[in-house]
Amino acid sequence: MPDQIYDVVVVGSGAGGGTLSARLANLGANVLVLEGGPKVNTRTDFNTHALPYEFPFRHIPTMKPGKPGYDGERSRGIGGKTMLWNAVALRFSQRDFKGRQHDGAGEDWPIDYAELAPYYDRIEREVGVCGNYDHLEDLPDGIFLPPVPLKCTDIAIQKGAAKLGIPVIHVRKATLTRAARTRPACHFCGNCMSGCDVVAKYNSADVHMFPALKTNKLTLRQNSIVYDLAVSDQARVNEVRYFDRETRAEGVARGRVVVVACACAQSVALLLMSKSSRFPTGLGNSSGQLGKNFIPHINAGFEVFMQDFIGKPSVNDEGFLDHAYIPSFMHARKRDYPRSFGIQFNYQNHRAVGWARSVKGMGKSYKESIKARYPAYLTFSPYQEMLPNAESYIDLDTENLDEYGLPRARRHWQLSDSDWKLHNDMKRWCRAILESSNAQIHTESSHPTTNHEIGGCRMGNDPKTSVLDAFCRSHDVPNLYVVDASVFPSSSEKNPTLTIMALASRTADHIAGRLQKREV
Amino acid sequence: MASYSSDRRSVLKIIGAIGATCAYPFAGDELYAQATGAEAHQHTPQPHRRFFNDADFQLISRIADLIIPETGTPSASGAGVPEYIDMMIARNTDQQLVVADGLRWLDAEAKRQGGSGFLDLPEQKQTAILEPLCELADQGNTRRRARNVQFFALIKALTADGYYTSKIGLIDELGYKGNTALGSFPDCVHEH
Repeated sequence: MPDQIYDVVVVGSGAGGGTLSARLANLGANVLVLEGGPKVNTRTDFNTHALPYEFPFRHIPTMKPGKPGYDGERSRGIGGKTMLWNAVALRFSQRDFKGRQHDGAGEDWPIDYAELAPYYDRIEREVGVCGNYDHLEDLPDGIFLPPVPLKCTDIAIQKGAAKLGIPVIHVRKATLTRAARTRPACHFCGNCMSGCDVVAKYNSADVHMFPALKTNKLTLRQNSIVYDLAVSDQARVNEVRYFDRETRAEGVARGRVVVVACACAQSVALLLMSKSSRFPTGLGNSSGQLGKNFIPHINAGFEVFMQDFIGKPSVNDEGFLDHAYIPSFMHARKRDYPRSFGIQFNYQNHRAVGWARSVKGMGKSYKESIKARYPAYLTFSPYQEMLPNAESYIDLDTENLDEYGLPRARRHWQLSDSDWKLHNDMKRWCRAILESSNAQIHTESSHPTTNHEIGGCRMGNDPKTSVLDAFCRSHDVPNLYVVDASVFPSSSEKNPTLTIMALASRTADHIAGRLQKREV
Repeated sequence: MASYSSDRRSVLKIIGAIGATCAYPFAGDELYAQATGAEAHQHTPQPHRRFFNDADFQLISRIADLIIPETGTPSASGAGVPEYIDMMIARNTDQQLVVADGLRWLDAEAKRQGGSGFLDLPEQKQTAILEPLCELADQGNTRRRARNVQFFALIKALTADGYYTSKIGLIDELGYKGNTALGSFPDCVHEH
């Protein structure tokens, strides 16, 4: 059906694309989703329950033999990164949307918390988020399933942090702690990030898109790698050009509206690749801001042994990885830098004992030392908000093409003096919490690293300083939208996914309204 | 050397990686190398070896057993670690050079101490040769690390990786109990 014109063509099927396409299909729009990777069955295709000794090199491959997907940078599979995520689901707070008003640095969002709150509500109802009602000013409560008890080692950290006046709360995750109509509750096997084979943990394929197929309004096209969005004379996207991941056969899709949701850097790369005489530096880039304002979360990391647990019997506390969370506390304290950090910890999986090689000694005492420390080991990873700066951006590496002959997205990032102050203070606080919890630091990161990719295609009210408007719509191209973390004008220190989904849901409603009014 | 010398930094990098971008933090390619095959690991010594000759294989087995000896559970060689080391070294030419130099040094050192080879020395003397290397290796990766220290650090790292990813190491020795289904997650009932 090459001539069919869909109401909406969505590029990508992860948290943003999956949420938005299911919502639109349920509202009656004809939706085509183009996903670069294959369809992956979370019940059968991942090595969820494998153990290292089943493999000669002891490395557990993500996929079972012969199952494609999740092996390259560009193509993953239907469901995107939600198939393997850790499911931490936090609401941003008013401060996160209006950081500039709060401390004079960075950029404000064109929307505020009250605007997004109903969509957070909707998403939490749709996917199921567990958590405790903590009544924190800076981490709004949501609609929660019951939280999971803290691990024994979490309680030790909680007591240590409490001595410094720092609260440790139950983590909030999009994982069911009570069975839902079509999904069982979590059974705490601890292998969440190797694929959840019962879908107790949210993924966009099984929770959003596959159920929406019943509307007969949603078409899923797997293995379709989009490489160009072509524009008409009226500056509208009129062709979504893709090729088949396996056969390389080319195809074209058409939609009244086109939504890009390929996960931050890949979305930016697609827009940068979509050059035309009208947009010579990338689609919708009249502001020159496309690719700029890349603000990934910046991590530090510790491996520690909880000394009160050294020599204790080994217990099964895999749970669903981390059960606790240390929310931002610096935003309310006196400091000489803007913004703040949060801490995820105790999320290791005990199938892997990579730290054993760096324990000192040899012989019987070495072997005993590792056994004694096994129940006491945990990871402790703080991560901070960074502010946009001129040296942090995404561009295309045209020298270094990927296996499909497409330029790779290249990430550049540098910390400013202010980011470094925050980073060093973050590590100081971590050492203080760990010391107060009687934890022995085994290793400590020597350099900052990035994890969640954010920014590069930011929203804003001013078309000169932003790429998208307050509805994630291109200022330049009236039928082009982006829904993933690339649109965030500021990153917060909180995990981005729940906010991506809330924004996607809101954008879906907005698009449905425009379709109904025949504006597009 | 390049490949091994980056290991410690890689480990530190992995520590930082959480959330969606990392499958799970301590089982990355950096630690266990990449695998594509799916043949099950065998605990019985494999007749086919990929890199070591018999004499070198015995030496490596002895060193691995001095690092992880038999206690209530089997030693490194009892858990198939020498076969694992053989397989890993066979894929890495830099490491092959480090091992060749290390084994030559070990032989010379044993002869200097009056033995005909390392394996002929009493355990006490074997340990006395290796422990100073271990102490230097444990100081972490420094650029100017002597070749014999590099050698020991490499064998120790592979021995630890191989042992604690084996069924004997992970299940019998450490008592890994995950990967099971629980009806509910238990409250902590300990006094802390």
